[in-house]
Amino acid sequence: MTLVNLHDFLNDYFTSNHCEILENNNGKLHIQLTDKMDELLMNRPFYWQYVKKLGYPGEPMKISFITNPNRREEEGEWIHFGSPRLHQIFRALQTQGKFTKLYEHVQSGQRTALVPWLVTNLKISYSGKQKKDEIVSIGLQLINGAMNLNMMQDLDTISLKPKISDFSYTMTPIIRMKSGYQRILNYVEQELQNKDHIWAEESWNHLQSEKKLLEHFYQDTTEDEEYENRFEQELKDIESLYKPVIDISVINGGLFYLTQQTSNKLFLSR
Amino acid sequence: MNIELNRDYDFIDDLDTKLTNDETLSSWELFRMSYQSSVATMTKEFKGLTAPNHLPHMTFLEHQLECAQQVVEEMNGRGLLADEVGLGKTIEAGLILKEYMIRGLVKKALILVPASLVNQWVNELNQKFYIPAFSQRKRPVWDQDAVVVTSMDTAKRPQHKDIILDQEYDFVLIDEAHKLKNHKTKNYEFVRQLKKKYCLLLTATPVQNKLSDIFNLVSILKPGYLGNYEAFTKQFGRDRKNLFNDAHLKQLIQKVMVRNRREDTGIDWTKRNVETVWIDFSEDEQNAYNELSRISKESSNFSSITYTRELCSSREACYLSLKKMLSQDKYISNRSDYENFLSTIEQLPHHAKADKVIELIQHTDEKFIIFTEYRATQFYLQWYLQQHNISSVPFRGGFKRGKKDWMRQLFQNKAQVLIATEAGGEGINLQFCNNMINYDLPWNPMRLEQRIGRIHRFGQEHDVNIYNFAIKNTMEEHVLNLLYEKIQLFERVVGNLDAILADLEIGDIEKEVQTIFQESSTDGEAKIKLENLSSVISYAQHNYNEEDLDDTRESS
Repeated sequence: MTLVNLHDFLNDYFTSNHCEILENNNGKLHIQLTDKMDELLMNRPFYWQYVKKLGYPGEPMKISFITNPNRREEEGEWIHFGSPRLHQIFRALQTQGKFTKLYEHVQSGQRTALVPWLVTNLKISYSGKQKKDEIVSIGLQLINGAMNLNMMQDLDTISLKPKISDFSYTMTPIIRMKSGYQRILNYVEQELQNKDHIWAEESWNHLQSEKKLLEHFYQDTTEDEEYENRFEQELKDIESLYKPVIDISVINGGLFYLTQQTSNKLFLSR
Repeated sequence: MNIELNRDYDFIDDLDTKLTNDETLSSWELFRMSYQSSVATMTKEFKGLTAPNHLPHMTFLEHQLECAQQVVEEMNGRGLLADEVGLGKTIEAGLILKEYMIRGLVKKALILVPASLVNQWVNELNQKFYIPAFSQRKRPVWDQDAVVVTSMDTAKRPQHKDIILDQEYDFVLIDEAHKLKNHKTKNYEFVRQLKKKYCLLLTATPVQNKLSDIFNLVSILKPGYLGNYEAFTKQFGRDRKNLFNDAHLKQLIQKVMVRNRREDTGIDWTKRNVETVWIDFSEDEQNAYNELSRISKESSNFSSITYTRELCSSREACYLSLKKMLSQDKYISNRSDYENFLSTIEQLPHHAKADKVIELIQHTDEKFIIFTEYRATQFYLQWYLQQHNISSVPFRGGFKRGKKDWMRQLFQNKAQVLIATEAGGEGINLQFCNNMINYDLPWNPMRLEQRIGRIHRFGQEHDVNIYNFAIKNTMEEHVLNLLYEKIQLFERVVGNLDAILADLEIGDIEKEVQTIFQESSTDGEAKIKLENLSSVISYAQHNYNEEDLDDTRESS
């Protein structure tokens, strides 16, 4: 599920956004953008404003990407892991792919019940003297509260559609979404409690020793108000620099309706 | 110990609203890609540098990577970068800033640099590091999350100062930080008041005069780290040499300062051979030059100095400018002189410099870069080379990125000569070529240094040959003899001229030189003024070199 091949990623991204791929060959992609994608990526708001005002059809641009480093001298934007264009697309995806509601595709002609799941992909960021992130993907079955901790990987093997299949119907959740979400957070916090946080301890101790230095530096000058203010400010600065903090944020998530059979499998694979 | 824990409660409310309102939601493909991209951009480890993986177009030197790593891991992002000139302090600073931005720790940054270097910083951060930095413009944007580059003087102006001091910066950088050595100055006070998390100070001369210089610089980064002022001077004295002699102090300083020397870097710099090629005008050309000088002297026209300068480059450059000037419908006192002079130009033979180029290049297969100041000369040279079966490609600062790369590639694989009008191609590496002709010299030696830097850089495997063309008995002779030779620009491997000019507050040396020629009524007067200018520069330069020598002696 990791992003290994940038070329395929770009191809999938523009295809999923209904753009026509004009050329796809040996590390080069030539793409005809749609109006919507031109507006999203090409940074020419005035053009689109103008076109819309006059009621003309806009002319979306074509764009070329080179993913094969051996061809980077050719015409087109060279895309690699640090290129601004890729990060622009990543940023766009943060909004485009944030919320969803999907149904498992069912081919059979029999009536099939679909079980609701709340799926959240969470980023846990630890910051103190240094920073690192962890990502967890958690699914919670909204009928019986079963949890899956490897949700994205497991979902990847299933065919998912934005529309419900004929003959399928959805079951009503017993656990409300909001309390489902709280269960997920509780679980994550419990896990955090059980961990050793050496990084936080180091940061905390460092913060205390920096504070001492600062107090020592200002000890003889406290009578001056201006110095006092500066002391307060510098204290704040080093606190924001070293104070250990854990942030739990949601990358994306949504409501998934899956067959009973799939739901059982997801539970077992836990 | 206390760990703050922040949870995201907006998400579930937003999801709820969207489901209730039956809004259009993400497809599985985009949902999956969104997750994938977050996994790809997350920071997996506390330690190590991730920035170099994001910048595959850059080749970092060992000492630059080590410096960045040391500042991030051991100094927690507050450090004094004090490499010797030319080892890439800017690169190190860029790496550090990039690292913090990738890790999501810096969004709002303030970069304070000398006014003359603002644009250079903006370009380097954008082109080399993909950091969307911009210079402060008419409409200030201090309150946005952005990377803003500006000068200390701008930042301190009353209309900006209070707003800036209200901002909470994630990252503050100060270039040429030795100017902050005195804690009684307004600049020092201003910097101390900035609200900042990470902070980098850049200077090649961390102690200029007194040992307290370093105390003041370190007190910006880590107040209290060296004790308070009285205790510091009591323990370590005032002699700047103690920075390197006192083992305890040295050890303390090493935890907040990185200083690399050229000889520590292990880079084998190739040699730079600089040759002045003196050229004589043909008799006709010299007469024409003298005639034009006479006409220009009589004219009060502001740009008259340009025409003689252009004539030293090509007939075409001069002809086009004169034609343009005459076509303007306004009063010109000696219009008829100029008009007659146009026909004189038409009679002139091929330019003496152009013939010299052919002479140099014709019998070798080696590649050459030719720099000229004028586009007309560029066209002329391309045509003239073609007449002699020498292949060439043009290059201009105004070319789009794609075209620049394409021209570079043509030059590398097909053409023998690249004719460029501007060093502007920052980030374009031409080190596969080791010959350069400066067809006409810019009046700003910094630009010459930048030109040479295109080929004489890390990765150049051969000695570099620089040919500077100058025509005898013209203004070019003065500029070369008085400006260039005197400040010994050619002898040094890497220049520290930018720092010196910034120190002397010479913003635009090109303008200075132009004014000198413009306002001098005789050749002699121009000569004396030029000589004064270069004396000031070379004096400052001398002081800089002394610093470097002292440092080396003390630390060995």
